Amino acid sequence: MSNGLPTSQSLTLPAKTESLGEVTRFVREGGHEANLPETRLNELDLLVEEVFMNIARHAYPQGAPGVASVTYFVATPGELVVEFSDHGIEFNPLVADPPDLALDLDERQPGGLGIFLLEEFADSLSYRREEGWNHLTLRVSAKP
Amino acid sequence: MGCGTLLSIVTIERTLVGNKVVLRVAGRMDAESTPAFEAQCDSCIAEGFTNLVLDLGGLTYVSSMGLGAIVRVAKHLRDSGGEVRICCLTGLVRQLFEITRLNLVFPPHDSLESALAEG
Repeated sequence: MSNGLPTSQSLTLPAKTESLGEVTRFVREGGHEANLPETRLNELDLLVEEVFMNIARHAYPQGAPGVASVTYFVATPGELVVEFSDHGIEFNPLVADPPDLALDLDERQPGGLGIFLLEEFADSLSYRREEGWNHLTLRVSAKP
Repeated sequence: MGCGTLLSIVTIERTLVGNKVVLRVAGRMDAESTPAFEAQCDSCIAEGFTNLVLDLGGLTYVSSMGLGAIVRVAKHLRDSGGEVRICCLTGLVRQLFEITRLNLVFPPHDSLESALAEG
């Protein structure tokens, strides 16, 4: 019986690189439910990878593996909301310094683009720390 | 060679043209499959090649991990007096090079012939 609220789907799994494929496939189902077009689904994959890999690589101290949870729901037709949660080190990616994209090859660093890409491809992002958990929420809609 | 789970498959085909190695990279280059790309590049470097042409025409997806690997390889080759050239960008991959301004670091060539022609 529906209570009128969007139905959410959740998945919890080890926060490690090997889980990326499962997370990607899981959130893609949400993208299909939200009727996102194929090009947007590819961008959704990118968003999922950037957030999940940030958790897998940085949330937990080396040698102390943890979990990541991902929850999605279709907020309105054509709009998917995805929330990633981890119990690791407090980290708000939305206040990280942006990369300097004007640097040439000598000065460029191989990393540092992930959070920038989140901001480029998500419709909106929000972060909260609650009872020892980081929660990062993304909204992804079909673009006109 | 291929590597990765169903969603994250990258295939890399290697060809030698003159003193340049052409790597045709196709599929998806994500956190799981990028190490296969890096291993192929490292193998070329270990064999003494200093000029790599990356034909990315068949690449449909790349994440920050894959972009970082290209930067890392290019820095390594630059230190050896060589370079990385990029050609045939399409779709999301082209968009990412433009957004991150890596298209200024690696001015993309429209064709493999063009990438091989200069220098």
